[in-house]
Amino acid sequence: MIEITIDNLAKRFGKVHALAGVSLKIAPGEFFFLLGPSGCGKTTLLRLLAGFLEPDGGAIRFGERRIDNVPAHKRNTGMVFQNYALWPHMSVFRNVAYGLDVRRVPAEEKARRVSEILGLVRMSGYEERLPGELSGGQQQRVALARALVIDPDVVLLDEPLSNLDAKLRSDMRAEIRRIHDRTGRTFVYVTHDQKEALSMADRIAVMNEGRIEQVGAPEEVYTSPANLFVAKFLGGANVVSGRVKSCSDGLAFVETPAGTLAARIGSRLLVAGDAAVIALRPELIHAAATGEANAVDAELSERMYLGEIIQYQLLASGVELTATAPSAAPLGAHPGERVRIAFDARAAAAFPAE
Amino acid sequence: MSAGRRTFVVISVAILAIFFAIFLVWPMLYVVKGAFYYNNHVTFEFFSANLSGLSSGLPSFWAHPLDWMAGALHNMAEYPIFVSLALGVVVTLAATAIAMPLALVSVRRDFCGRGWMSALVMLPLILPPFVGAIGMKQMFALDGSVNIVLERVFYGITWGLSHVGLMSAPWTMPHVGWLKDAGFWSVVVLTTLHLYPIMFLNVAASLAAVDRSAEEAAANLGAPRWNVFRRITFPMMLPGYFAGASIVFIWAFTDLGTPLILNYQNVVPVQIFRMADQAQENPMGYALVVMVLTVSLLAFLGARGVLSLKPQAASTKGTASESLRRASRGGTALIWLFLGGLTFAAVIPHIAVILSSFTAPGGWNDTVLPAKFTLSEYHTLVTHPTALSGLLNSLLYSVLATIAAVVFGVLIAYLLTREKFLGQGALDGAVMAPLALPGIVLAYGYLACFVGGPLNPLQNPVPLLVISYVVRRLPYMVRAAVAGFQHVAGALEDASRNLGASALTTLRRITLPLVFANLVAGAVLTFVFSMFEVSQSLILAQDASYFPIARVLYKLFDRLEDGPYVASAMGVLGMIVLAAGLLISGRFLGKRMGEIFRA
Repeated sequence: MIEITIDNLAKRFGKVHALAGVSLKIAPGEFFFLLGPSGCGKTTLLRLLAGFLEPDGGAIRFGERRIDNVPAHKRNTGMVFQNYALWPHMSVFRNVAYGLDVRRVPAEEKARRVSEILGLVRMSGYEERLPGELSGGQQQRVALARALVIDPDVVLLDEPLSNLDAKLRSDMRAEIRRIHDRTGRTFVYVTHDQKEALSMADRIAVMNEGRIEQVGAPEEVYTSPANLFVAKFLGGANVVSGRVKSCSDGLAFVETPAGTLAARIGSRLLVAGDAAVIALRPELIHAAATGEANAVDAELSERMYLGEIIQYQLLASGVELTATAPSAAPLGAHPGERVRIAFDARAAAAFPAE
Repeated sequence: MSAGRRTFVVISVAILAIFFAIFLVWPMLYVVKGAFYYNNHVTFEFFSANLSGLSSGLPSFWAHPLDWMAGALHNMAEYPIFVSLALGVVVTLAATAIAMPLALVSVRRDFCGRGWMSALVMLPLILPPFVGAIGMKQMFALDGSVNIVLERVFYGITWGLSHVGLMSAPWTMPHVGWLKDAGFWSVVVLTTLHLYPIMFLNVAASLAAVDRSAEEAAANLGAPRWNVFRRITFPMMLPGYFAGASIVFIWAFTDLGTPLILNYQNVVPVQIFRMADQAQENPMGYALVVMVLTVSLLAFLGARGVLSLKPQAASTKGTASESLRRASRGGTALIWLFLGGLTFAAVIPHIAVILSSFTAPGGWNDTVLPAKFTLSEYHTLVTHPTALSGLLNSLLYSVLATIAAVVFGVLIAYLLTREKFLGQGALDGAVMAPLALPGIVLAYGYLACFVGGPLNPLQNPVPLLVISYVVRRLPYMVRAAVAGFQHVAGALEDASRNLGASALTTLRRITLPLVFANLVAGAVLTFVFSMFEVSQSLILAQDASYFPIARVLYKLFDRLEDGPYVASAMGVLGMIVLAAGLLISGRFLGKRMGEIFRA
């Protein structure tokens, strides 16, 4: 187990700053996620950790050892590639044993470790198959075994589930989490799929345009986004613009076309008189109880039934809002209906307008 | 990049640069200089001397434009450069006319016996062209099989007619001098029959690459089939077609073996060959070589230009499984009539060569088939000193050339696909340039540069022969290897390095095994084409003890008694080797075979 320290790491591709000075600490044994839209720099960061790219500035340390100028094959990381990158000319056994061959592990120990790790990923009995004869999920397990068998200091996973179908993907999430817990190694996992990150991670770094927007536990980044980008990227949010009337007790009171609404102050920079936006998650909107604060009148303009939830489009004095509600507790029944809605001020967040 | 790796790249690039400078750039510059620079002044007289008299006897263009054109064409027919150009163009058109329908059928139609088709189409390629001319001569000679068959057929018909009283007496057809009177056309026919498979490979590959949904979209909008082909399919496959057409054109334009054996002197390659022994003194030869080089380069660069215009195909997500339209019964019959007739015509020379190889000297005169069979030609082949040494020499040269080509090919493919350095484009250009560089030009350049020097081919042609084989085949080898290196996606190698393998271990255990098939295919092609290479072998090997196969064949052919028969035996051996070679490389390369033979 090893701690990863990333210090002001930068990488340019031509004029594009793929990474613009990123600093991070990843704890030993942590299951750490790099989450963000495509082009945010998360894969660049992972490839820098693996040593496939050389940084233009900054440092990476595994424990005390600085490794950013160590060649890829001397870093002792185990990487799982997006397309698995299993070697088509080698059997499952030889694929998995490769890293041990390179490390000149004696045959007996090699056989034992390969069979042990294939057991862990539930692929015992497939030793002699060629990768072409395996299904996507099985290839995924072999790729994982190949990365784990060398006792890597860090396991790097590059969108490993993106080529699987939905059902298999959710099975594999639990499976990979189980394998992480069993091996206790430091995992760094790159994905653009927030469900993967939220369900598997110990901590998540949300990335955007080569920077880290927020680092925190899944619940923390979801419920207390540090800025509008995180709020919008994770879970999606309604954005209501207005002007801050006053601030008190950690709440900002923002004057909007739909009326004055209260929300947690998401950024310390916010003061009265500022232009501001409220990020409001659709599932926070509920039917207002009588006399409830933070409530507005709205017209229900669209209703879409999605099974366990219903999604609504609402129009509150010209402000468009998306809301979701459990099918068991609907907001309204028909388009055109007038409803009174409210939300918990502490769950929504106000940020400076961009 | 580590210091060791950087040193490796620098040293290999330097070695390659020196190699190409000495064996590619210098000979070409030497020839070009010789063509324009004589007695210390720049001159164009050797070009005008090659073209002098072109306008003699022409009427005024304005008074009689049609007569002028007819006269000009008549005059041009006397000049090897124009005849060779015409040869190239006609062969390319004829090969297109044959290959296009074949490719359409092979890519788009299912019919009974479809599996045999590609093998049949490739059959002509296994004929060493030199040997094909021997067979053709045997068949179409004044007393050859074709004339005898025709004579008997007509005699039989007219005998029948006279028997029932419609004619007074049966007619004996006079033997036609096929080869004597129609030299140009016999070269066209033989060359076309040899080269249409290359055109087919290209046309079929570019046709297969055309996205079916582009055609379906047109059909969906109401375009009839012919319209879809003309407006959608044909334009989309055009770049690939040009790539193949330019190779066929350059091949026909610069082919030495066929016209030489058919004794058709009036083409540039034969003229250059005749001047080879005065390469050091006679600047007329330089001028001819420069003209050939210019035309070939233009054809090659033209095709490349068209290829680079090719629009990037929009990425399409998954194609529906190809369902081939099943040909009707009549269609199938038509397909087989065309394919069968064509294949038969194409293998007439093969058949003749095989028959000759079993014929006793003098045993095939005035008869359709040989009268006396024998195995003695094969015995002669392995006992006759010239024949045997030719086989062994070619074997040695080709093995050396193949080893060198594999080493260079892997190195260059690695440098082109895995490293970044200044001059990468120049390296790519130098490696691919020989595609546009006719063997005859290279050989002539070597002769001009190296006679009297340290690698003097008149004393020992082996180094230069091997080097010329390597230079000319390297594009195919590098292409095959690059295709492989690109196919082994970055991630497969990254995964190996990630698990702790060094660059060298990764190359040895991951990359090379995965590109092995491509390397075998490239090596086999290099080997077989070196074994039966004609123009460089004829020009560079002047001493009998160093003769490779082609030079021995040429010499045997001039020997009256058993020469052609021993040559045929050698040809049969060649066919077997070529067939095996193409089969092996085809097996390893599969559908990508078409990408090898193109500009």
